[in-house]
Amino acid sequence: MIYDFAIIGGGPAGLSAAIYAARFRLKAVVLAKEPGGTLTKIHLMENWPGEQGISGAALADRLVNHAKDLGVDIMQTEVQSVSRKGKNFLIRADEGNFEAISILFATGTKHRHLGVPGEKEFYGRGVSYCAVCDATFFKGKTVAVIGGSDSAANEALLLSEHAKKVYIIYRKEKIRAEPINCEKIANNKKIEVIANTNVKEIEGDKFVKSVVLDKPYKGSAKLPLDGIFVEVGYHPHSELAKSLGVKIDENGEIRIGCESETNMPGVFAAGDVTSGSFKQAITAAAQGVTASNSAYKYVTER
Amino acid sequence: MNVTLYFTPTCPYCRMAKEYLAKKNIKYEGMNVAESRDNAQEMIKKSGQMGVPVIDIDGKIIVGFDEKELNKVFGK
Repeated sequence: MIYDFAIIGGGPAGLSAAIYAARFRLKAVVLAKEPGGTLTKIHLMENWPGEQGISGAALADRLVNHAKDLGVDIMQTEVQSVSRKGKNFLIRADEGNFEAISILFATGTKHRHLGVPGEKEFYGRGVSYCAVCDATFFKGKTVAVIGGSDSAANEALLLSEHAKKVYIIYRKEKIRAEPINCEKIANNKKIEVIANTNVKEIEGDKFVKSVVLDKPYKGSAKLPLDGIFVEVGYHPHSELAKSLGVKIDENGEIRIGCESETNMPGVFAAGDVTSGSFKQAITAAAQGVTASNSAYKYVTER
Repeated sequence: MNVTLYFTPTCPYCRMAKEYLAKKNIKYEGMNVAESRDNAQEMIKKSGQMGVPVIDIDGKIIVGFDEKELNKVFGK
């Protein structure tokens, strides 16, 4: 079978694209390593219009069910390669091969490592990249979030529901979370921001015991901690697109235009893997549905 | 085969592990480590770490949702 539109990635960009593709009566398939994508790691979303507070996992479920009810095939599988097959595209995945007339890269990102001694050794033993997964292990403990993004702020707020003390350690002066989240942090008695400071090393025995800071905090460069949540940004998952010949910018992100088009006809991109500076679920969704409209035009006019 | 899954309710990889086991019709005992400190301690003792999910298959410990490792045990 030849699909009209193959969507690689199952986050808000890919799933929103799938919903519109189905409404356009495109024969669409979603190939997702992790259905729901980054959404599933968000504890509480308060900025999806119309939802004043919903867990990322619940929103992801709704998007998945919406697409499925409209008849989209959603496969949990990892894509290994994308190549040309005549005018079409051939996608090789763990679950088999898929041929499509047009494709969408909604492949998202992978988290960045801090790159300090101890990070690898203590992964799973105090070092975590997923507060939603592991926060409950730190009931009554002292933890730190490394990073100053809005995601870091959200993780700190979630952790404050479990831990007795939460530090945010950030290399710059002022965290760059949504101002509403900055206010929540400022008003949260458990959370303390250590600004203009880097973590140099993570230390412990069986589990994490402390970190070494690059400048003393309250007179000591050693900060005792039970848990460290690394939230220092993301690398785009653009290798598949790059190997197909899609134009990638200096940050490794896919350049798209207003119609979510790439430099290659029939190839579209949306969401966190693209070069927009404002990476939100809602902007990803908007780029995804725009891509579906463009794919519809491409498939029908070809 | 005795299968135990240690999980937290909010962890996406735990959910993927549950869906995997359900798809393969594998009966397992679910241990919520967010709810019970004893369950959490048992998991940490078995796996030497505190990331979820952890799957114990007759004493073989698989940390994380590692589909390739699981396929080795349960078949693809």
